[in-house]
Amino acid sequence: MSLMDNLLAGLSLVASFEVFFALFVGICIGVVGGAIPGLSATMAVALTLPFTFSLQPITGILLLLGVYKGGIFGGCIPAILIKTPGTPASSATILDGHPMAEKGESGRALGMALWASCTADIVSNLALILFAGWLASFALKFGPPEFFALILFSLTIIAGVSGESLLRGALAAILGLLLATVGLDLVYGTNRFTFGDPNMMGGLNFIAVLIGLFAIPEIIAMAWNPVAHLGKPRALGQSKVTFADYKRCFKSIIRGSVIGVFLGSIPGIGAAPSAFLSYSEARRKSPNKENFGKGEIEGVAASEAGNNGVAGATLIPLLALGVPGDVITAIIIGAFMVHGLQPGPMMFILNVDIIYGLFIGLIVSSVFLFIVGSVAIKGFRFVADVPKRILMPAVLVLCIYGVFAVNNNIFDVGVMFAMGWVGYLMMRYRIPAAPFLIAFILGPLLEDNFRQAMLMSGSDPMILIRGPITWFFWVVTIITVVAITRSVVSKDKLGV
Amino acid sequence: MNFRQIATALSVSAALTIVPALAEYPERAINMVIPFGAGGATDISARAIAEPLGNAVGKPLIMVNLTGAGGATGSVNVKNAKGDGQTMLFARVGSHSVSPAMKETLPYTLDDFRFVTVYEINPVACAVTPASGINSMEDLVAKVAEGGVSYSSSGVGSLLHIAGAMVLKEFGVENPLEAATHIPQKGGGAAATAVLNGTATFLCTNSSALASFVANGQLKPLMVTTEQPITGFDAPTANELGKPALNQLVGWTGIAGPDDLPDDVATKWEAWMATATQDEKFIKTMTSAGSIITLMSEEEANTFIRGQFEVFRALVDDLGMRIEG
Amino acid sequence: MTPRSVQLHLGATACLISLVLIFVGIPHAVSSPSNVSNIVLSPTFWPYVLSGFTGLTGVGLVLAGLRVNPSEFFEDEPENDSLGLLRLAALAIIMVVTMFALPILGMVWTTMLVFAFTAFLFRTRHPRTAIICAIVIPLALYVFFAHVAGVGIPQGNFLRLP
Repeated sequence: MSLMDNLLAGLSLVASFEVFFALFVGICIGVVGGAIPGLSATMAVALTLPFTFSLQPITGILLLLGVYKGGIFGGCIPAILIKTPGTPASSATILDGHPMAEKGESGRALGMALWASCTADIVSNLALILFAGWLASFALKFGPPEFFALILFSLTIIAGVSGESLLRGALAAILGLLLATVGLDLVYGTNRFTFGDPNMMGGLNFIAVLIGLFAIPEIIAMAWNPVAHLGKPRALGQSKVTFADYKRCFKSIIRGSVIGVFLGSIPGIGAAPSAFLSYSEARRKSPNKENFGKGEIEGVAASEAGNNGVAGATLIPLLALGVPGDVITAIIIGAFMVHGLQPGPMMFILNVDIIYGLFIGLIVSSVFLFIVGSVAIKGFRFVADVPKRILMPAVLVLCIYGVFAVNNNIFDVGVMFAMGWVGYLMMRYRIPAAPFLIAFILGPLLEDNFRQAMLMSGSDPMILIRGPITWFFWVVTIITVVAITRSVVSKDKLGV
Repeated sequence: MNFRQIATALSVSAALTIVPALAEYPERAINMVIPFGAGGATDISARAIAEPLGNAVGKPLIMVNLTGAGGATGSVNVKNAKGDGQTMLFARVGSHSVSPAMKETLPYTLDDFRFVTVYEINPVACAVTPASGINSMEDLVAKVAEGGVSYSSSGVGSLLHIAGAMVLKEFGVENPLEAATHIPQKGGGAAATAVLNGTATFLCTNSSALASFVANGQLKPLMVTTEQPITGFDAPTANELGKPALNQLVGWTGIAGPDDLPDDVATKWEAWMATATQDEKFIKTMTSAGSIITLMSEEEANTFIRGQFEVFRALVDDLGMRIEG
Repeated sequence: MTPRSVQLHLGATACLISLVLIFVGIPHAVSSPSNVSNIVLSPTFWPYVLSGFTGLTGVGLVLAGLRVNPSEFFEDEPENDSLGLLRLAALAIIMVVTMFALPILGMVWTTMLVFAFTAFLFRTRHPRTAIICAIVIPLALYVFFAHVAGVGIPQGNFLRLP
């Protein structure tokens, strides 16, 4: 069959009201789910899954994909407005999105987030359609040594988000790495810092740590000084994003999308590191470097492009190899299986109509996302006008519900509170929170892949430089570290 | 004003606590704890049975994913719950026979639970990549003797972990822990990927987790552990290979409550499960994923779980796989 | 706090954490099996490496702190305030009590109290709105999470909601 035949077969499958309606509903559910901290895109997809069992395969799968894409975008809304990331992927958006909201530019930040998200979504979908096969075979070359080198390189992001002092950023990162060791050991299954508590054996819940680190310190700071915010132009989120803004950030958005596509196509990394990497690259290349972290719109654009660029690309390993790249795609694979579809190379031969139906649906989904997102922004923007001393208790209550809902465990609420105080102390001592978080995400990946590599080679360290991919990442890591050291020495940033 | 409201609320609530003691079980929605994450075998199985089971129970079932530590976090939560049948657990092979057999420090034992049924059996299959040049179990064993063979698992104390060791042991490898390297991954999906990308040589896991890879020709099955062959798996059974002992090596999902679960609740669960497992949609969903639906009574379920536990325990002691730290 | 004292405090704390981990924390709280074949595979290897790095960063912070001019100061330093400390303590108590109250009272009633107490702790200018929100928001969240999202929100031993 030619491409045209495939397209027509796919079109005949999706060309019904039901399919597009499902996709649209999915995006709505996703945006709302993503906008509620703790509910997150993952939960929203898991909750929608049972409804897809009775639908046609293509309708059901597009419904789930709609939820996924909507959820990843929706996460940026609370990140910008109340400094609480709706999904882990949107934690990088906080760095500049929330300062923008503080300056009274929440409308502009949200608008840019939407434009960047939709652009990245389109890039990601195109990458899926055009390069799925090629990227998938590339992703299969990633064994533990390659992962180790890639993640080591990703840790250099920390330099970009450390703010005024690199040393304090490094301290935050190391503390994050240490905290990530809590739980059962991967290789031997022994306890590490669990103190015999079964709740600690699974490690500290990522979302509890995340919300504790970003949202709770704001509430504590409000207890310290309830009137600090008065006189700031926080309200009036009327400012809008302009086409000039978009044009200025376009390079960062495309760069972020490409980073998202690459990291998304490699199973096991996820959207959060991609958003941070995209952010730090945008900062490195930007002429307004100093403004990053203080409300730079390009920072919002880069992080949202980074996380939405992942959304389409995670389908590459799923469709081309049958391998789920993250939790969400693992759930979506369930939907394929229930309908007797087996993702993998054969699906491109046996169910090519479904594949092309999905492609068409995905392209349409970017448009729907833009429509639903615009409405959602208008709906949520009023949050910026709520009196802050009513808003903060509401955020606290919302966080309690949300963090509980992630894993149905009250213990996680305690983790969130405890991390809130850690975060507050870090704030007072001017330790940046972002490196802590990045390290907390990447730490287990770094250690696990290192040890898996050692198991593979019988503890021969040479395996860490076994092929071109590892060489590449080692070289860029060294170059980046040298560049960072030089800029530190020349500016003497070690000091304050 | 504020305090008076609280006081009123408290007194109202105190008055309402005098619930009729003889209320028929279940009084309200039942919490069903799934100790593994969304998208995994336990989760799919639990959510597939949720609807027919909810109809049989007549009250809503709240599906609660409480993940962590290979199923331990959720299991402990149910162990500590009141034995009134309002909190029940989806027990699974990894958390309720492999982990108790292997982990000395596990915060629960089999005696902490009352298993009311086992309703699903998942055959286990071992597979390698076609590129490995391994075409049979004999080839694999020969390769193990050469050295450099490894197997992946979804983590320490998982079915996949013990399966790799048990299969090699049955096929005459003297000390499988030394002869082959165990490379744990995080989750079943990652374990299969590790074999696909050459990180590990083989894995033994639920046939449902391998079905799509086998159908796509990305993985080659070497054998299945059941008596009967499995559709879609062009590989000999353990019995055909003369290793009937491996029939014990299967995955399963069951339902358990805390150990002080009263008899009448357990009886009700048996009846509900008998109705729920008749549901055609449920059977179709599960069998299409490669599971075998077999409803066990409470007694059968206990004999089955204990039996498997003893087999694993003996193997763990034999090979020195016990985790003490 | 001045930039100098921040660096010095942090540096000293980091060194202390590092020493405590290396000599007390890791030997006691990280168990390692006796049959570890290679040191790099041991469960304690990574924590030891990280503790070492913590110490190095601590030393770095101290050295950097000593080079900072003692007369430098932060422009946006929050002023000290004993009432503020009191409010921090009150918030800490609210959080601790919440943890104990959640399983007993249930999430809805607990969060209503949390909302009310924190709103008054922040000396809100809209006490009436705060009370209404304290009742409506937890209820609305309960309805959403329990009935739309199907989450088993803890109900407590007293008044149960449908």
